[in-house]
Amino acid sequence: MSTKVTINRLATGVPGLDEVLGGGLPEFSFNLIAGPPGCGKTTLAHQMMFALATPERPALFFTVLGEPPLKMLRYQQQFDFFDSEAINQSIRYINLTDDTLAGNLDEVLRRIVSEVEAHSPALVFVDSFRSVVLASQTQDNPNNNLPQFVQQLGMLMTTWQATTFLIGEYFTETDTNPIFTVADGLIWLRQSVQRNSMVRKIEIMKMRGQPTLPGLHTFRIATSGIKVFAPAPLNPVEAPLETSIKRLKMGVPQLDDMLGGGLPRGYSLLVAGPSGSGKSILAATFLAEGARNGETGVIAVFEQRPNHFQNAALIQLIQDGQVGLVDSRAPDLSIDEIVQLLLSEISRLKATRVVIDSLSGFELALAPTFREDFRESLSRMVTALTSAGVSVLMTSELEDRYTDLRFSPYGTAFLTDAIIVQRYIEVESRLLRIMAVVKLRASAHSDELRLYRVDENGLQIGEMLHDQEGLLGGRPTKRISGVSDPGDKNA
Amino acid sequence: MSTLSEESRQIVASLAHRVGPTADIARIAQAIISTLRDMDLALTPIIGKQGLAALFRRSLHLCVSLHPRLSRTYDKVQSGMDLTALKSLIVEQSDADALFFGEVLLTTFYELLTTLIGPSLTERLLRGMWEPSLSDTPSQENSP
Repeated sequence: MSTKVTINRLATGVPGLDEVLGGGLPEFSFNLIAGPPGCGKTTLAHQMMFALATPERPALFFTVLGEPPLKMLRYQQQFDFFDSEAINQSIRYINLTDDTLAGNLDEVLRRIVSEVEAHSPALVFVDSFRSVVLASQTQDNPNNNLPQFVQQLGMLMTTWQATTFLIGEYFTETDTNPIFTVADGLIWLRQSVQRNSMVRKIEIMKMRGQPTLPGLHTFRIATSGIKVFAPAPLNPVEAPLETSIKRLKMGVPQLDDMLGGGLPRGYSLLVAGPSGSGKSILAATFLAEGARNGETGVIAVFEQRPNHFQNAALIQLIQDGQVGLVDSRAPDLSIDEIVQLLLSEISRLKATRVVIDSLSGFELALAPTFREDFRESLSRMVTALTSAGVSVLMTSELEDRYTDLRFSPYGTAFLTDAIIVQRYIEVESRLLRIMAVVKLRASAHSDELRLYRVDENGLQIGEMLHDQEGLLGGRPTKRISGVSDPGDKNA
Repeated sequence: MSTLSEESRQIVASLAHRVGPTADIARIAQAIISTLRDMDLALTPIIGKQGLAALFRRSLHLCVSLHPRLSRTYDKVQSGMDLTALKSLIVEQSDADALFFGEVLLTTFYELLTTLIGPSLTERLLRGMWEPSLSDTPSQENSP
């Protein structure tokens, strides 16, 4: 039998935060919520408080020289989690302004302790702790000893079995601050501003005794409160490859043939081509074929135009609930937010097919601060989706440069399991389209460049142009039977 | 005060209840002051002494601008929330004027708080203050 202490982990009631914390909030811990003004500290505290407080184990919220309580109550009410009925029952606000103004830390501590002893709270909040510190410094009081005050407060709160949060405005985490040392947990909130875009980020700089998710995680504040976008958990062990690969039909029989029977299940496929080459149509056909076979799908569109869909069949599928639509026009998206939107739709619909249309729009939808890491973000998204067991089709706008054979503008071709490339060529004063399967991991596939056209029934794949060569250069020439002259290719 | 809200009606009834069956100026003043004290007790721990004093000043200001005849008397009230001084002003009034002032002040205060923190939280914080008027029948109505 283990004789080690078991630390309960409290569910914070903030979506995504428990994951980032590494399993919830350690009970009886002494924490600091820090960050610059307006970053959501008080809101985070309130959301956790309303989720965790009960009449038996209430929460005490000490207001000090920060936001006037009347205004705090006025604004916090705007959030869905605020419940007036809880006030004075499971949540008590206690105003310490006058005690703090006196500047005597011993007196402040005495007030806090006497209220804690009177109410036996499960949760204690002090907002804003920074003002306690400042007030104590402005007074010429030789007895004020901040490290000692913090140390005693931490000790007393834990002894009274209260999980405690000090809320404070701090701008640099490198300050040597006694609070940072004493605290069991340091939750740092930030706002990252780049040009006109603002992204909120949360970091658990410290949480004793548990494996937090390192790094900055984005969050949003909506009327429902704070929502943290934790990275999608990855299965450490990938499902063993099935001996017989199950293949998904693409909805274009000739393309299935080119793919050696269809797209292997769980693969990611990049469809790259120039504007107007029919990528979105192929993507819609892929979903429609799934629906025809009783599968559900999810499509993420990243277009700013609300009437993006020209495809009636796809609109019908979305209306029938066979395809879920992820159409976030929220500004400044982060990769984790998008992945979370996708995963929640996937699990809601038990979807097997996912379309992202297009990567170019996706890149634009991301906050500028994430664009530098686009390749890395994309890699994480592909991994998160394929490890959820779905097959993913992504479209990518490809500027036709006839001098080289590229598959994506992002250097991301290696990320996907399969690539289909589409191109325009000029033959007899007509703009024709060709496509080819460039890559299909661990599977035989066609090496043909096939003509295709787009009509009201979707993509119609034709034959190869046997008598032409130099197709990839965009201006093929007629092949002189027998001998071909490599010098003619790009003529 | 022709269109009284439900809360205002409760406040007026509660004040009448506190005054009791025999209304004299001392009882009226005492009823107003004791109601304000209860509000103080309910709100000061949460919003602080200064927060409450500010609400009180604003309520008084609104009362006077709505009913200019009150200004002669109540403009004299000093800043802060000095209930003893207020009481000494009230007892100099006629019964009817004092009662009218009490009703106007208390309902204005309640409505002011409502505009700031909403009806449900205001009701939550001041719950219990008006309850005697609900649980007991006001004394005046006991007489046949």
